[in-house]
Amino acid sequence: MKRYLLFLGILVLALVIGREALRHRAPKVYTTTSGRIEMCLACHEEKPEKAHAREVVGCSPCHLGDPLRIDRQLAHRGIIKNPADLRVVEKTCGQPACHPGYPERVKKSLMATNRGIIDTLRRYWGEVPAHAPAKRPGETVRELMLSGETSLALDYFRKLCGTCHLWLEKGKYPGFLGEKGGGCVACHLVPGEKAKKHPVLTRRIPVENCTRCHNRSGRIGLTYQGLYEDEGYGAPLVEGEFGAETLEDGRFVDLIPPDLHYKAGLTCADCHLPEETMGDEKEYVHFEESVEVTCETCHGGQGLTRKGRRHPKVMEKEGRLVLKDNAGKEHPLKAPDPVKCRHEVHRRLSCQACHAPRVPQCFGCHVRRDPRETQLDKLAGRETAGAWEEFRSYMRYETPTLGVKGDEVLIIVPG
Amino acid sequence: MSYRLRPWVSWGLAASFLLAVVSGLLASYPFHEAFPLISTVGIETVLPFGSFLRAFHFYTGQLTFLLLVWHLVEALLNHAERRRPLWRWSLLVSTFPLVTLALFTGYIVRGDQTGLAAGQIAEHLALRLPLIGLVLNRLLFAVAEEGVHRAFMAHIYLSVGVLVISGLWHFRLRAVRLEDLAVWATLAAAVSLVLPVSLEAPSFETLIKGPWFFLGIQELLRHLPPWLAGLVFPSIPVLSLVFFRLAPRGLALVLVLWTGTYVILTALGALR
Repeated sequence: MKRYLLFLGILVLALVIGREALRHRAPKVYTTTSGRIEMCLACHEEKPEKAHAREVVGCSPCHLGDPLRIDRQLAHRGIIKNPADLRVVEKTCGQPACHPGYPERVKKSLMATNRGIIDTLRRYWGEVPAHAPAKRPGETVRELMLSGETSLALDYFRKLCGTCHLWLEKGKYPGFLGEKGGGCVACHLVPGEKAKKHPVLTRRIPVENCTRCHNRSGRIGLTYQGLYEDEGYGAPLVEGEFGAETLEDGRFVDLIPPDLHYKAGLTCADCHLPEETMGDEKEYVHFEESVEVTCETCHGGQGLTRKGRRHPKVMEKEGRLVLKDNAGKEHPLKAPDPVKCRHEVHRRLSCQACHAPRVPQCFGCHVRRDPRETQLDKLAGRETAGAWEEFRSYMRYETPTLGVKGDEVLIIVPG
Repeated sequence: MSYRLRPWVSWGLAASFLLAVVSGLLASYPFHEAFPLISTVGIETVLPFGSFLRAFHFYTGQLTFLLLVWHLVEALLNHAERRRPLWRWSLLVSTFPLVTLALFTGYIVRGDQTGLAAGQIAEHLALRLPLIGLVLNRLLFAVAEEGVHRAFMAHIYLSVGVLVISGLWHFRLRAVRLEDLAVWATLAAAVSLVLPVSLEAPSFETLIKGPWFFLGIQELLRHLPPWLAGLVFPSIPVLSLVFFRLAPRGLALVLVLWTGTYVILTALGALR
């Protein structure tokens, strides 16, 4: 018995020494500038941008895990790749010390709920009575993800629209779809320098981030940049290859004159307020309820939105109104033409009725569902029965039709 | 019915206690009580054999506590209280809350989330005690004002003090056999190799849990006033043990019921 115990003792001792010899040890205890321990820094060399500097923030406040350990397995327990994912964002970006309140707001925003798309689809496809309330329980992206509820319109939404929302896990799907979604980083992330091994988080949202999703229907994201999605068939052919420019999803585009705001260097987020994009704590159903910046906010409106909120980037400089964009450049704001714009006969005209002389228009939109095939349900993450295909008759880039909504003359764009 | 104490439990307790104190003294050299968490992480991640030393100290401490409970139960079954005068039996019984306190202060000194929670709860409870609360807090805790300095001193003094005094008076410390030390050291070392000791980073979590043996009291604090949950309830087993000779059957029932209740409360606390 004694011999066995001696053998066991020697074996355990050998294991203790062997493990110690193989173990990677840190040269010191790593702390952030606030004195918080971040042993992640002993191994990780990633360098985020200044606002989230590794010396100040460290890794664990965003990526969780265990910052007190250096053993890979222990240190990585509970780690998350994307801290901005809406499933965890209260513990990460939205924690009390960082950006409190934002997760609750964002989760109610249209980009997270997609209520408008769902409501319109179901209403137009006759799944919801005309008198039904627009805001119905169970009809947001997250609720559909959890419930699995489906119908003809919802099946279409799940398969063809299900990647344009903030609940989508970043990188879940291959190709350009993998770039979409991810909660906060759907907008706030841009590629960083390769040597820094970490993408950059920014408040200067580039247009490309918005147009990852905002590139269909009215094609506003494309038109703004001077891109027109045409039929084209890839023409002109150059050395047997398609010569036309293509979008990431393979659609052909022609170059048209970009919006003059784009030419001036303004991005979407220079005009659109955080309350519109990240929500203002109200749960809207449709885009027109949520959006509050108008042309008049800058041009003749003294920087006030239609909801009476002061535009944070519009300010008075040397007696005139300017818009200071995200890059810090100041743009003098022109007042509307007192004759053309303020004339009594133009009183009911919206700005776009005159200032959008040509817009892209998609005619003859129809869809087909083949019940024999399967297609990826992007909310559930699996193939289900029924494959949808979209068709259109033709695209045009021409003078839009004008219509009347309420007392206002607007442009009407089929898309 | 007669019951004989198992010598391997008694000597295992002595050996584990000795190993816990010696490993604790070794671990205390690189430990700076002014920076408890940084020190603990330094021992864990920078010091060669540090994580093993810390785990070894932790598990020998846990073994001491568990074997002490076992030894106590065996002593009661053996009617040990009848063979000793009340003062002597009371002193022996007092080793149980003192060792528990030594174990508890060990959690405080590491300065992590569990330690912070344990220190704060202990301080608030001590301050609720009439008359002696303030003095007791100044002696043992005072974590809000002074950090873990006092808890660290209490941890060392209590551990070494109880070991030396009971080793001189209750058992012969120098009679602890090398074989016993080797067996219990091997056991603790083997566990240390497999199970890393917990260390939680301070967080914004609103649900905090103290040491495992404190979860029952923590759970009770949610339902009862602090003086009842933190003072009266834990005093029941200690007083029952001291006066066991007066009504062995009745007090044995009290102890069984108390233990059952505490196990349920601990399970409820752990599941939160």
